[in-house]
Amino acid sequence: MIARLLRRAGISLIVLAGVLLIGFLMLQVIPADPAVAIAGPQGTDDEIEAIRRHLGLDQPILLQFVWYISRVVTGDMGQSVINNASVSAELLRAAGPTIELMCAAMIWAVPTALALGILAALRRGGIVDRLVMAVSVMGVSVPVFWVGLLMIQFAARTRAFPIQGRGGPLWTAEGLSHILLPATALGLILVGPVARMTRTTLSDALHADHVRTARAKGASELRVVLNHALRTALLPIITLVGLQVGTLMGGAVVTETIFSWPGVGRLAVGSIITGDYPMAQGAIIFLASAFILVNITVDVLNELADPRIGSRS
Amino acid sequence: MTDATYTGSGSRTWRRLRRNPMVTIALGVLILIALAAIFAPWLTSFDPYETALRQRLKPPSAEHLLGTDSQGRDLLTRLLYGARTTLLIGCAGTAFGALLGGAIGLCAAFYRRLDGVFMRVIDVFLSFPSILFGLSLAAILGPGLDSLIIAVGLSVMPGIARISRGAALSVMAQDYMDSGRSIGLPDRSLLGRYLLANAYPPILTYTTLAFGDAVLLAATLGFLGLGLQPPTAELGSIAAEGRSFLFIAPHVSTAASILIFVIVLSFNLLGDALRDAGDRRAS
Repeated sequence: MIARLLRRAGISLIVLAGVLLIGFLMLQVIPADPAVAIAGPQGTDDEIEAIRRHLGLDQPILLQFVWYISRVVTGDMGQSVINNASVSAELLRAAGPTIELMCAAMIWAVPTALALGILAALRRGGIVDRLVMAVSVMGVSVPVFWVGLLMIQFAARTRAFPIQGRGGPLWTAEGLSHILLPATALGLILVGPVARMTRTTLSDALHADHVRTARAKGASELRVVLNHALRTALLPIITLVGLQVGTLMGGAVVTETIFSWPGVGRLAVGSIITGDYPMAQGAIIFLASAFILVNITVDVLNELADPRIGSRS
Repeated sequence: MTDATYTGSGSRTWRRLRRNPMVTIALGVLILIALAAIFAPWLTSFDPYETALRQRLKPPSAEHLLGTDSQGRDLLTRLLYGARTTLLIGCAGTAFGALLGGAIGLCAAFYRRLDGVFMRVIDVFLSFPSILFGLSLAAILGPGLDSLIIAVGLSVMPGIARISRGAALSVMAQDYMDSGRSIGLPDRSLLGRYLLANAYPPILTYTTLAFGDAVLLAATLGFLGLGLQPPTAELGSIAAEGRSFLFIAPHVSTAASILIFVIVLSFNLLGDALRDAGDRRAS
């Protein structure tokens, strides 16, 4: 198990290095020469040359990459070219709202999807089953931004919920009402796929030998489903939910933009459009690393939760 | 995910598919939209770029069937031309991803030593949020057509690589591969004339189905402003333009969004039907 985890971690490190390389390349293609920018309009050629030497821009590019990595690791991602704010500080400020939004979306969407999936698996071909299948196909086909726009139209007409920005901490009524719409929109992406996976996995589990045994010894239907079938089905479902984090993150970028939610996704899109390269590379590195980290965590949890531990190499 | 689902002869699958009314509807809708997009210049008398500010944000009428947008342009015309752009980006991106993924999959099956590394990389790509590809490429190359196409290609590539590898592996087990090798054919002809020529049907099928996701990604990136810049007609950016006038003229965003939804939904329905038909045959 340890070997498996280490190998996984090794791959993730390589991917992380790739992500950093992309971030580095992003800074290489900046149209403006940073040395010229620092020297200002009155800078002489000698001054520019001196700044360039001071920044290490005259060194081989590979060496610059190594420096770049060491800077990123210590949390120094440079300054925004728009408002000179520290990229790391801005990212830290935006991380909270994004995590908040993703958790809020999962808190309602995952249980709903599980319930729908279980109901669908119990009555294959029934009304709930067909509904789940229809909803899941539509869920993966609908543009996330349209769901958001429809909600905004609805909320504006009824004046029931705020449609822009974050209203403060979640334990206040103001904060809660602000997160309601974006969290609903983001969660909707998740319901279809997760319900579908639950349905498939659970119907397989319901036909397994040990479930038949449980039925044979006279266990009640509720007990059979919850204790015997669902428990074995839960592990693959957890893995699949973990894999949906990527989808959720992509959706978060869109929902944050639509609802002006002050998160990392909106920061990334905004900085790319305004040409704020340092901020854009910071936000992208941040999102990618967070994604990789979550995936490793899901892997580890899975290994730990798997009762067949040790039987696999 | 479904490595071996599409292998084998296609005619029985096709017959089973044709009996499914959903397939007929989805296919019909797609063909209709594709034709309308291709023949857009002949279908409408309006210009998609000529602005008429006195006619802005008009609701649907006899003259403008879907009304006009914020610049007074006929919305139906914009949508037709927008579908053209969006479908083209989807095609180009999917083609790019198919070439890349197909090459990776075939090579992984042919050169077994590469298999482990290749597939590990593919696994990572497979789970990576495709919007991040779009964000990074727009940041590196700047928002525009080339970054869109590469981003779409990178997002469909891993799925196609997996299917190709699966298809190629089953071809590799055939006797004629050994025969070809034993008469001393070079790797180039073995790969092209033997492997690709026999493994391509499932790859082609899957590629067609990946198109729905490609269109959705292209439109989403367009909506975020990371794709083609205005005034280019593109479905995602039309929806984004309409967003500023959501409360006075919701029809602009809604019409563009519905068109995207219908295109992607049709492709996904086709994909599901095809997968079901394949599964039933396998069992």
